Amino acid sequence: MLLVPLFGVGLGVGIGLLLPWEIPITYKSYTALAILATVDAIFGGMRAQLEENFIFSKFMVSFFANAILAVALAYFGNILGIDIYMGAVVAFSIRLFNNLSLIREFLIIRYWRRGSQK
Amino acid sequence: MLKRSWVVGVGLASMLLGMLLVFQFRTETNVKTYLPQFKTVSELGIKWSRMQTDLNKKEEELQRLRQQLKDYNRDAELKSLRMAAGVTALRGPGVEITLTDVTRPLRSYEDPNLFIVHYDQLELLVNELWAAGAEAVAINGVRLVAQTGFSCAGTTILVGNKKLAPPYVIRAIGDPQTLKAALTIPGGYLESQILPFELGITIKQENSLYLPPYKGSSVFTYAEEVPEEIEEMFTGEEEEGDEREGENGILLEGEPVVEGEEL
Repeated sequence: MLLVPLFGVGLGVGIGLLLPWEIPITYKSYTALAILATVDAIFGGMRAQLEENFIFSKFMVSFFANAILAVALAYFGNILGIDIYMGAVVAFSIRLFNNLSLIREFLIIRYWRRGSQK
Repeated sequence: MLKRSWVVGVGLASMLLGMLLVFQFRTETNVKTYLPQFKTVSELGIKWSRMQTDLNKKEEELQRLRQQLKDYNRDAELKSLRMAAGVTALRGPGVEITLTDVTRPLRSYEDPNLFIVHYDQLELLVNELWAAGAEAVAINGVRLVAQTGFSCAGTTILVGNKKLAPPYVIRAIGDPQTLKAALTIPGGYLESQILPFELGITIKQENSLYLPPYKGSSVFTYAEEVPEEIEEMFTGEEEEGDEREGENGILLEGEPVVEGEEL
């Protein structure tokens, strides 16, 4: 299960290296948010898989909704001169750690179960 | 156990993450190569304000130079240069000096060589006039310019390349009183050069004198004009040299090394 995200990231890096694009310097803060949103989506997806309630459409919708909201916040923050995107960063980070802790619990529990079964 | 939709969803998200990471890394590398010395925004801000000040200064200079360019009057400069070069006829107030050889008959024991006008007397007179602020001088209608020299040519005097014979009429444009005073000052030209030899001299102050233009050629076969920038460079070096000499020769020891590096 852990292999899928790792393999995906590896493939993404390969494709990225082949493509000549780079991010304009003006949109740097937006990329940070986009990266956080994808990481959040991946962890969320893993957690959902472990809880066995993963729904593809929900996953996609929440991923894009989160990303768009974060980018919009950053955009308006930029216009207003306030670092509102910080809020999105913090929110994503908290969710990340939450998901990570849940995934950790699940994995440990599963490991223990396996160990006790043997 | 793994749903295909999960694999697709998370896989796509992971791929996107990887690509974003690569693009972002590329941007960051570029930023660091272009602005390697700046780590924080405030440093950049300081640099920016410094450059802004520089820019303001340069703009002021530009403004000043533009003004200079606007004020620069080509015709006026050309006119003054032509006047200085002596290629135009000039008129103005000044003095008219007439020098003649001795008029009375000489006695048998007197050396006639002492009682005629010599070229050095003429030269000294002209030097005195220049020193007194004469703006233009002509002798017997020969305008004196930068290349004019005096020399002895038998009974005549060679001024430039014209042979002149007495009486010598020297016309000088300038402040008439100053010019006259410069010649008649006690112990000056008149007393030391003219009176002892009983030469004839009249100094007339004139309100309007006419000076003809210089009629010789001015061909430069060997001389070449030095561009203005290089001229400034030369003068700059000379000034630096003076400073170095002023510092007790401590820097003089290092000087050859520095010049060697420059070469």
